[in-house]
Amino acid sequence: MVLYMKNKHTFQHDFETVTLAYFNRYPNPYSKHVKSIDTVEKYIDLEGKLHQTKLIRKCGHLPNWVRPFLGTISSSWIVEKTVVDPISRTMQTYNCNLDYTKLLTVEESTFYKYDFEKGVTHSTATVSFRSRFKRFGALNLKDKIEDWSKTRFTEHSQGSRMGLKIVMERVRQKMADRL
Amino acid sequence: MGNIMSTSFAPECTELKHKYDSCFNSWYSEKFLKGKGLHNECEDFWQDYKKCIEVHMKKQGIEHLLDDARKEAPFENGGTPKGKPTQLSAKDSKAR
Repeated sequence: MVLYMKNKHTFQHDFETVTLAYFNRYPNPYSKHVKSIDTVEKYIDLEGKLHQTKLIRKCGHLPNWVRPFLGTISSSWIVEKTVVDPISRTMQTYNCNLDYTKLLTVEESTFYKYDFEKGVTHSTATVSFRSRFKRFGALNLKDKIEDWSKTRFTEHSQGSRMGLKIVMERVRQKMADRL
Repeated sequence: MGNIMSTSFAPECTELKHKYDSCFNSWYSEKFLKGKGLHNECEDFWQDYKKCIEVHMKKQGIEHLLDDARKEAPFENGGTPKGKPTQLSAKDSKAR
């Protein structure tokens, strides 16, 4: 089984604020588990869209019941891809873990679209949780891992959004100072 | 943004990263989003920063991460996760 989740949200900010905040969202009070973020690739394509690839290092703990199979994991790497279309004011983001993919792959795709009429930015996220673990006797680890990660992800989503909003406010303030 | 900036995985590269990021942020707001030419004046900062992280990735034995990162091509499929089911219920769904 693979688990999926969809999530919509509207940010009360313009496209510049939302995207700049996204690129600069670490550190924030809700991102203590994020150790580093680096840009490893960037280019502008023939249609004038900006592509960026980043590597993020996060630390975190696995639940006790998975330790007999994997031991302890202290940190993992995440790849982040973003494409910004400055004309239509849209941004597509993609995040996925690069290691421990046998245990679990979490892929998150989010589409941000500026609403020219209302001056706000809408986002639609799709997240998938996939484990390649096998069944161990009566213990269906695959389903258990997917369920666990989805629950954890949902718990953390609120914090991620709060963090992003704090940075948006920071960006907005900075833009106001510039004027 | 501002004085609060994230760190590089390699502490030695953090300063170069901050220089590049600051330049990028201004360029993104002032030029890119305003359609004022596609030339990115942060190229010098970028080259220094990139060189630094490439060296340290090799040192830490994590060069493969770069290849892994480049390999991921999620947008070829319109940005949707691999194997996404064609039908999704509005809020939340389980698929086999």
